[in-house]
Amino acid sequence: MNKDELIAKLKTIIKPYTTNTDAYDNLTEETDFINDLNINSANLVDIILDIEEAFDIVIDNPEMERMLDVKSAVEIIETKLASK
Amino acid sequence: MIGNDIIDLQQSRLESNWQRKGFIEKLFTVEEQLLIKNNEQPEIMVWLLWSMKEAAYKIYNRETKIRAFIPQKLICNIRQQNDLFVSGNVTCDKNIYHTRAIVTKNFIHTIAVINENELNNVIEIERKEVVKDSNGIPFLSSSFNWQKPVSISHHGQFEKIVCLSS
Repeated sequence: MNKDELIAKLKTIIKPYTTNTDAYDNLTEETDFINDLNINSANLVDIILDIEEAFDIVIDNPEMERMLDVKSAVEIIETKLASK
Repeated sequence: MIGNDIIDLQQSRLESNWQRKGFIEKLFTVEEQLLIKNNEQPEIMVWLLWSMKEAAYKIYNRETKIRAFIPQKLICNIRQQNDLFVSGNVTCDKNIYHTRAIVTKNFIHTIAVINENELNNVIEIERKEVVKDSNGIPFLSSSFNWQKPVSISHHGQFEKIVCLSS
């Protein structure tokens, strides 16, 4: 899976939790889940659980700590997929 | 310093499924998971603990400038529960934050402070009294108290804006 495919898959995961559609439509690696997409912090855990299911990986606590923006999420998923 | 968090329970039922596999395990410590499991109203305990973490994190984030998703590092301890309040504290690293929560049928509102006695000095203010600095950090706009920190929390149909009166 290349980075564009990964971001596309991630984008479908975060869609149901997003309330700012402008920021969602213009999503980049710099997009912040809470500040830009207005995602409720309690829903961050849903995104993490959805990522675990969709990519068949396990995200541990130190990784979860950084899961605040698209860039970190992509990095974490890429690292996990590479070590499979 | 002050932090606060409001949870609209009706809204949380629409937004979150706390019974989803992995949800509780990711957000709460083993001790907190037991509090939830053994409570007569596990849903209320989930959101009470969550609002304690959120209120405490607001102070932690403001003072340390550290931004991270660290629910399990914000460790809740419930000390006393009566008809009016649930009081307790949240520790994070070496910091301790004292909390007081109001639990009603429709919402849970938690306030966190650094010195326990400040819990008696909390006042609610209106949005028009709030100004934000260049980083978006809210303060009370009164000219005498322009550096007085304010905490804003909004969820569903509820909004609470609080600061310390002295």
